[in-house]
Amino acid sequence: MAELISIDPVTRIEGHLRMDVEIEDGVVKDAWSSGTMFRGIEMLLKGKHPWDAQQVTERICGVCPLVHGTASSYALDDALGVNLPDNARLIRNLTLGANFIQSHILHFYHLAALDYVDVTAVLNYSGNDPVLQEIKGKIAGLVAANDPYPLLPRYESNDYVSDPTLATTLVNHYIQALEMRKKAHEMLTIFYGRMPSFVGTIPGGVTQQPTISNVAAFRSRLAELRDWIDRIYIQDILTVAGVSAYAPFLTAGDSGGNYLAYGGFDQDSKGNVKFLERGVITNGDIMNVKDFDEDQITESVAYSWYEDSTEGLNPRNGKTEPEVDKTNGYTFLKAPRYNGQPMEVGPLARMLVMKPKMLVDLATQLNLLSTPPFQFGILPRHAARAIECKMIADEMDKWLDQLDINGNIWDKKDLPGDSYGRGLVEGPRGALGHWIHIVDKKIGNYQAVVPTTWNASPRDKDGTRGPIETSLIGIPVPDVNNPINVVRTIRSFDPCLACAIHVIHPEHNGVKKFRVV
Amino acid sequence: MGSKGVSRRQFLKYAGATAALLGLSEAMVPEIARALEELASGKPPVIWIQGQNCTGCSVSFLNTNYPMVTELVLDKLSVRYQPNVMAAAGDVATKVIEDTMKDLSGKYVLVVEGPIPTKENGRYCTFGLEDKMVPFLNGRQRREDKPIEAWMNELVPGAAAIIANGNCASFGGIPAANESVTGTTRVIDYVAKIDKSKPVINIGGCPSHPDWFIGTILDYLINKKVPDLDQHNRPKAFFGQLIHENCERRASFDAGLFLEDWNDNDPDLKLCMFKMGCKGPVTYADCPIRRWNSKVNWCVGANAPCHGCAEPAFYKNLSPLYEPLPDIHFAGISALPDTLGWIAAGATAAGIGGHYLYKQLGKKEEGGEE
Repeated sequence: MAELISIDPVTRIEGHLRMDVEIEDGVVKDAWSSGTMFRGIEMLLKGKHPWDAQQVTERICGVCPLVHGTASSYALDDALGVNLPDNARLIRNLTLGANFIQSHILHFYHLAALDYVDVTAVLNYSGNDPVLQEIKGKIAGLVAANDPYPLLPRYESNDYVSDPTLATTLVNHYIQALEMRKKAHEMLTIFYGRMPSFVGTIPGGVTQQPTISNVAAFRSRLAELRDWIDRIYIQDILTVAGVSAYAPFLTAGDSGGNYLAYGGFDQDSKGNVKFLERGVITNGDIMNVKDFDEDQITESVAYSWYEDSTEGLNPRNGKTEPEVDKTNGYTFLKAPRYNGQPMEVGPLARMLVMKPKMLVDLATQLNLLSTPPFQFGILPRHAARAIECKMIADEMDKWLDQLDINGNIWDKKDLPGDSYGRGLVEGPRGALGHWIHIVDKKIGNYQAVVPTTWNASPRDKDGTRGPIETSLIGIPVPDVNNPINVVRTIRSFDPCLACAIHVIHPEHNGVKKFRVV
Repeated sequence: MGSKGVSRRQFLKYAGATAALLGLSEAMVPEIARALEELASGKPPVIWIQGQNCTGCSVSFLNTNYPMVTELVLDKLSVRYQPNVMAAAGDVATKVIEDTMKDLSGKYVLVVEGPIPTKENGRYCTFGLEDKMVPFLNGRQRREDKPIEAWMNELVPGAAAIIANGNCASFGGIPAANESVTGTTRVIDYVAKIDKSKPVINIGGCPSHPDWFIGTILDYLINKKVPDLDQHNRPKAFFGQLIHENCERRASFDAGLFLEDWNDNDPDLKLCMFKMGCKGPVTYADCPIRRWNSKVNWCVGANAPCHGCAEPAFYKNLSPLYEPLPDIHFAGISALPDTLGWIAAGATAAGIGGHYLYKQLGKKEEGGEE
């Protein structure tokens, strides 16, 4: 007999997510993903000055504002006909890269690690390392005072990492990671002023000239971060992936084999060459990467709290009419589909499209590439994120070398009367698109299609589950009161719900047609 | 040894950091240390819930330096519910709220990030579950969503203090622009519907600066009373002066040297951002002195205009962000036009950051509580 259990809030993610899972014989038989908060960001842009778009849309999300501000800047550049100076392109790459580093470190250590590390095992630490001893003292104090929040309570499980030295070392890295992610933010603010909510990118360029001193300040922080990523982050990922109890998670949590990447970090002024490559993979056939075609994107609302009349539209013509009492509705997320299929986006999708040697070697070593169809579960998702973090950090050093302290940073362009623009980029959580239509020098329409909308989407009109829903099927839940493996699976996607729900109210969504770029 | 493995020396260290944060004299360090030690013997419980938020204020909180996050979260406060950092999820997480409400009524600090939507019976923001079952797909039943409204109704009466963290919670911010659809309600207005006498402290900023938020909490805990607030319920310690008054580029404003082309921004010139839309002349916050992200930079420091994100008017009434403020008198800011009257009304000059707290601690000393 199947039992339906509901997990709400799914914590240690961004935003408001509820997950309902049906358990039968100790495994997940079915799953429903519900986004439970709605603001309506884009509607307030209509009629506003187009330059405001970047400042408003970066506030869609406080964890990944950089990628929204960057996508918005590219959308405005496109609409204004900007020839982006190389310095501006490089500074946008460097700042976005800095936030990738921040976001990926934050995700593994502060959002995910408590699913794997037993903090109470720290109490058994008997070594002589003074730093680890101090951590033991701190945790012991919390436990003795019966005030162990926010580290406990938690879902109980018998497969947490409980070796005292390893657990204490990982807790120490959790604390170090707080400083590292903060340092990545500091690095970003050298060019962008502050973070979250930065000010350094504008239509046509950036605001801060590279100088000998700010490039040096950036590079010294980057060097420290690269060292820490290599020595600590990558090694911890390999350690956790090697825990024998977690071997099933190499393939458990596979989202169905469809992956999509728009490509990110422009390597030339036209954006024809991207550092993170674009492409589409279907049915787990990772050796066959297909070209991406924007026109294949549609959004289904069959199970979303929006009127059925808005079913199946391309986001460029998107409409959103909330209907919270809809019989089959269970989420504020729509269901984006590519050629009718759900798609996983994010680090795993990008790394499978790109197949860097480090990933292929690791996947081979873990025996993930022996027999098709290949499956990539919870742990490969974490590993892809760490490998990508290292690749971007290493590439950033080259972007710093290319900055020209005498070069321009801005291509000043007047506002057009009527124009379309779009910005397609990659953010820490996956493929992101912004579309703008300028009418009479004001914003006529603005749309964004966001990574977590792909990953956490509900069923579509064909009843096909979204990627996270699919990834949960078959996940073991031996104890319905402690569904730790369900949240492990969800968190491996690094969901951001504030990003995913950001739609326009129909009264304000007057513009129906976008140019196909 | 102090309680919970925290030594006297550590308390003095925290006290030094706290004094630095609040802009207090070193002379106050022993007094602050004593107050902190008192607190640690029964760490104040904090429940931090999220309405129509973006988590930016939580991320900003993680950027704190004095004190560090781990010290705050583990040593100073009992952070029982904070959805981005807590280990627990689902019922295990919400039970912590329920237990705290029951066991520590009147003692917990309630932090709210993001405003409260009230239309459609609160459906626009829910977390946690009711016991009541409702119909679900294909004849199934599942537990009903619990609106943040319902949580507020339960949490507000027992809260010792309520902090609206960030511009959205304090003033509506970005989601308020969509108020007609979701019924976005500022925390202070929602609390007034439950209990008009319950004080709400507004921390402006999109996001809030970690010092503003943490400094306010520490101030409240040390002094056991709500700090001096301005007319928008912001602590005067942090929101007492105009950006423009303390701006490192004020001399350029006075001299009429304005940035008009971003390619012409020799950093040594420190040109004024007024013509690029700077809202510093109408924004009360200590950003030029406090700066952001471990003091690495701030908005004007990056050759960009202040967008006024600490003001109640942000975003809607400060748009367009990159157009100069209208009709301002270049000789100074004393003669603001009527169009900016909403700001002028708030122009009560307060002392420099922390001055009032210094006075209060001083009074305590005089009162013979030594």
